[in-house]
Amino acid sequence: MFDEYNPLDEKIFQVIDNDGKIVNNKWFPEIDNERLLKAYRDMLLARTADLMIVSYQRQGRIYTYPPSYGQEAIQVATAMVMRDEDWLVPAFRELAAYLGKGVTLKEVFLYYMGFEDGSRFLNAKNILPISIPVASQLLHATGIGYEIKYNKKDQVVFAFVGDGGTSEGDFHEALNFGGVWKVPVVFIVQNNQYSISTPVSKQTASKNIAIKSVAYGIKGIKVDGNDIFALFQAIKTASEYARSESEPVLIEALTYRKGSHTTSDDPTLYRTEDEEKEWDMKDPLKRLKAYLLNNNLWTEEQDQQILQQFKQEVDRQFVEAENYPLYKLEDVFEYIYVEMPDDLKRQQNEHENFLKWKEARK
Amino acid sequence: MRYIFNFPDIGEGLEEGTIVEWYVTKGQKINSGDSLLKMDTDKVVTDIPSPKSGTIAAIYGKVGETVRVGTALVEIEIEGVSGAEAVKEAQKDSSVEVIEEKGAAVVGTIEVAGSRARLPASDEGMSEKINEIDKPIKKILATPVARALAKEMRIDINKVTGTGPAGRVMKEDIYAYLQNSLNIIKTAKINIADERVEIKPLTQIRKSIARNVSLSKHNAAHMTVFDEVEISDLIREREKYKEKFIAKGVKLSYLPFIIKATTLALKTHKILNAQLDIDNNQIIYKNYYNIGIAVDTDEGLIVPVIRDADDLTIFELAQKINEMSEKARKRELNLEELKDGTFTITNYGSIGGQFSVPIINFPQVGILGVGRIMKKPIVKNDAIVIGNILPLSISVDHRIVDGAETTRFVNQIMDYLTDPVSFIMD
Repeated sequence: MFDEYNPLDEKIFQVIDNDGKIVNNKWFPEIDNERLLKAYRDMLLARTADLMIVSYQRQGRIYTYPPSYGQEAIQVATAMVMRDEDWLVPAFRELAAYLGKGVTLKEVFLYYMGFEDGSRFLNAKNILPISIPVASQLLHATGIGYEIKYNKKDQVVFAFVGDGGTSEGDFHEALNFGGVWKVPVVFIVQNNQYSISTPVSKQTASKNIAIKSVAYGIKGIKVDGNDIFALFQAIKTASEYARSESEPVLIEALTYRKGSHTTSDDPTLYRTEDEEKEWDMKDPLKRLKAYLLNNNLWTEEQDQQILQQFKQEVDRQFVEAENYPLYKLEDVFEYIYVEMPDDLKRQQNEHENFLKWKEARK
Repeated sequence: MRYIFNFPDIGEGLEEGTIVEWYVTKGQKINSGDSLLKMDTDKVVTDIPSPKSGTIAAIYGKVGETVRVGTALVEIEIEGVSGAEAVKEAQKDSSVEVIEEKGAAVVGTIEVAGSRARLPASDEGMSEKINEIDKPIKKILATPVARALAKEMRIDINKVTGTGPAGRVMKEDIYAYLQNSLNIIKTAKINIADERVEIKPLTQIRKSIARNVSLSKHNAAHMTVFDEVEISDLIREREKYKEKFIAKGVKLSYLPFIIKATTLALKTHKILNAQLDIDNNQIIYKNYYNIGIAVDTDEGLIVPVIRDADDLTIFELAQKINEMSEKARKRELNLEELKDGTFTITNYGSIGGQFSVPIINFPQVGILGVGRIMKKPIVKNDAIVIGNILPLSISVDHRIVDGAETTRFVNQIMDYLTDPVSFIMD
């Protein structure tokens, strides 16, 4: 597959078209219907949650949030391939991959409400918290990959980054080291066309992003990032290759960020309606749904029904997160050290005196 | 239960937004998640959805109006929950602080979005305003600068309304409070209906002049020393350089010489460049010499400050004075150019008058009044000759500056002015 879709040839790996019709029988993956339906539901849940979080944010109930809207297929395809023992190293726009790993919506909400407990992931293992410094997570991924190799474990790391992240020095360091030391990491670039407002055309002079793999001496492929079948096939192949050969793979998944960069961003300032409409045709959920409807695997009624269920579930978990007990201020003093250093003791003492003073004023 | 939905900060440090469009009207039923209005902010133009289902009980703000973050957008009457039940509902949530309204029976609750406090209040009458609710008594949040300022001005900071984040009292709030409190100062009753009087509101400048001079007169113990100095030599020197300065576009008055003499004298008599910190029983000496110069403008007196005046040459001082006076008259001075003065000079002599009892620019402790130069008969070498006399009046805060020190200070200034060459000698 990597030879057939060499990034030097500027080929894009695609399996279904915009209407959900198979255009590439050779690479159509074997996925049983149950698994396919689950993939669709997972994408729909992620999208529903995503849109609702933006609404909550506008209501002042949660802080800044980066929507994954439009990029669900890449993340769900990864979740389909990813095993419990595999590692997930996210950037910050991977809601569906998170949910796929076993993170709960409540934990996601807690994180964006400012609770550290939102990064505890009680039901998900081998997962790193969100990484805000762009591309820094790739180094962590390579490091984990090196450990896997060193200890001869049967694991793969799935590391995410955006198109903007490929301009960071960390991207080069991670891929270069990974190539030299041959670590089992699948680097997935969610090329969503914009890093905040900078279009990908201003991001790199390379023909595409996958082509960068050539320079690092690793395998690379450019995939239609809104085609769940192509993504599943590519990520599965990459994962198996990384495991069997212990080598990194670079996947460029071409997609579109339908929402804003974060809730503090207004995309209408730097992109056109025509462009948005064009990408609407390629929407990943729409394409999979078309495939399911065409093959009588799914109905509109089921769709509406499950959407209502999802909305209620999202809201239920959101309200749970809203009622999460606030941290005690004492934690500030007690959290880090087993034995409290003197300066902290003094500050804690000051704080206690302040509380007494406050109490006395009542 | 009445729910007040405040405009949330939807853009990381947003302060305000402008209402573009309202989607709801009073009395309309809405579901949570329904859009209430469209808002234009620094970051985004976006719909603001409702966090609650219920009936719109009140709408605040019209299209085109600018709304500050944290102020009410709508009140929503939430169905099925009212009265005591609502109080219980509110108290159930352990993370929520319930604050008793003073002196009123609790008959309902108002839940305020965005803050984690709920203020129980009456749910009678759909049109009731939120600001009628008494504010809870808490330790007031304030910036250190505001606290220091309040202390210095002897203001009870708890009475000041804060406009900073989370109601923090800012420096500006202290000034605003002072301005308001000025209006409360009692004055003799005047019959406003009397046709023979005319009522004009105070300008901002007049308000602050009134405030500052009252503050000074009420706090400092004023004492004034008068003297006269013969400056024929200085007049000659000034005449010599006047044209040269004009060629360079700068008008040379006597003020640069007086400022120069004053800064030199302040360096010897540092107490006149100091400030009294009576609360801490200490005197603050300042090792910088920022001289305020009183400028007469159409709207009243303004005192721009020449920073580090001791470092400037006569030419630079002349330049600065020209620049500052011009800016003062055009109202173009910024706050930086008005603050941190350590001593003030008022040069009324350019208009007329000889002696005065100038009011200290509090919390400074000294002010030098400069009168008009007049030809007067003087005794020189036991003969009566015509002298050029410059009258000086200096007021000091006697709490820390005594008469002897003041006189020595004036003597030094006069020595410099009598012998212009001495400026460069010291």
